[in-house]
Amino acid sequence: MFAYWRQGFTVLVLVLAGSVWAPASRAGTEAAPIDTATIEKNRKANEACFACHSAAGIKNPPKADLDLANKLKDSRLEPALFNPADHGVMDCRQCHAGNHYDPYPHAEVGKNETAPCTECHAAKVMRLEPQFNASVHAKNEGLKEKFTCNTCHNAHENIVALRLKDPHKIVAQDNHGCLECHNSDLTFAKFAPDGEKTPGVKRKRPDIDTIHDWLPNTKLHWNAVRCVECHTPEVAAKKMLSHEILDKEKAEKKCVTCHSANSTLKVRLYRHMAKDEQQRLGFTNSVILSNSYVIGATRHPVLDGIVIGLVILTLAGMLAHGAIRIVAALRRKGNKEQAK
Amino acid sequence: MSERIYLLPLWIRVWHWTNVLLIITLVVTGISLHFADPKLPLVEFSLAARIHDIAGFSLVAVYGLFVIANIVSGNWWQYVPKPPGVLERCKVQGKWYLWGIFKGEPHPYRVSEEQNFNALQAISYWVIMYMIMPVMLLSGLIFQFPQLAPDRLFGFDGLLPVAIVHYLTGAAIVLFMIAHIYLGTTGKTATSMFGTMITGWHEH
Repeated sequence: MFAYWRQGFTVLVLVLAGSVWAPASRAGTEAAPIDTATIEKNRKANEACFACHSAAGIKNPPKADLDLANKLKDSRLEPALFNPADHGVMDCRQCHAGNHYDPYPHAEVGKNETAPCTECHAAKVMRLEPQFNASVHAKNEGLKEKFTCNTCHNAHENIVALRLKDPHKIVAQDNHGCLECHNSDLTFAKFAPDGEKTPGVKRKRPDIDTIHDWLPNTKLHWNAVRCVECHTPEVAAKKMLSHEILDKEKAEKKCVTCHSANSTLKVRLYRHMAKDEQQRLGFTNSVILSNSYVIGATRHPVLDGIVIGLVILTLAGMLAHGAIRIVAALRRKGNKEQAK
Repeated sequence: MSERIYLLPLWIRVWHWTNVLLIITLVVTGISLHFADPKLPLVEFSLAARIHDIAGFSLVAVYGLFVIANIVSGNWWQYVPKPPGVLERCKVQGKWYLWGIFKGEPHPYRVSEEQNFNALQAISYWVIMYMIMPVMLLSGLIFQFPQLAPDRLFGFDGLLPVAIVHYLTGAAIVLFMIAHIYLGTTGKTATSMFGTMITGWHEH
């Protein structure tokens, strides 16, 4: 168990360089990796929070008459989901102003003093901000102010692709961030701007299946790729996906962008597996094929060569046969006329 | 005037030309999907996918009707190469295609109402219609219901073997179609066999 966390954290800090920033780095500079002892210490400290802020805590409150089911309906978390998450190595109080949360009942002011993501992710936020500002989420009137990183990225549960590895899990996690609003009238209404033709009346949520009805096998796509594969601008190899979320007018609609040998999926959903690509058993994009058969992208050049070769041979054979027949018939005709 | 017989009832001709339309549609859209590339614009991908699905389901229905009609009418018997001497007849037929036809020798097999096909035709039609076509259709159906395919196989998506079987059987049908169309010109005249498939009448 201990080794797992050590390994998890090493990957988190060393490979992603900046995904997790240590609590001490309030100035926004990259921190040194958190050692396993600190992680254990944080976990132990978090147990005090989970004693109430979890399903088990609500069921069996540490004190009687706490009415936790009602009070904590919006602030409960499961250790089983939080601990493996990217932020699961941290102490809850590193983001949730510790001085207000130590005593009970917690001071009301603490709720408004949750540390912003920039406290640790300043450099990243600075880099991503222009992208976000160009995003449909910032351009729609009144929307930008309602958006925080946490609107899309669940800080308590998200795990970066490199650790999550399995593309199906990455798709499920990332699409959940989009569908939480775009597939829920209730949540969508909290963010929705007024309709263009109906001032004062909030824009209605378009049905997710209806607006994608041009996309064949829609449901298959929901499980196999992320919304952002099409709803973000073109991305260069080894670069991170943009935070500029594109609306339906600008989103990718050319199927061959993914469904071709030079599939963009290589630098998107499968970016974290690029180094594993070895054209296994001769298949193009075998890393994609290890997860999904993507017609047009996951081909076998040798098999294609054999099939094309056979078609050419058959055509050539038929044409040659036909040509010989014609020549032979003409010669017979000529011979007959000569004989006359 | 040459002797002629009424060889092909209306339902076989309608089935055949429906097959022609559907298979050509499936081949063109299938190529557009499998060899999808921005530099190879045949049919736009999403359109090709929709057409391929519709044409595929139609071909499944047409094949189902073909099998039923074959059983009811007894036409299935035409596809069975009848012994004795099947191999010998195949040899004679093959020799004619490879040599006799160039010398203007008469067709070695005389078509009859009882036996429409020569031995090579019967065997190849049987293989295509009762072996390759059902496998191609079944693998296409599994594509529509991917939950029927294994989840994973040899470290790849379980749909891969289904896709390969579909691709190769489809390719086999393309090869058959090329040869079939060409051999259709080997009748009494280059167009007489096509005429038979339109009118039902065969001229000896």
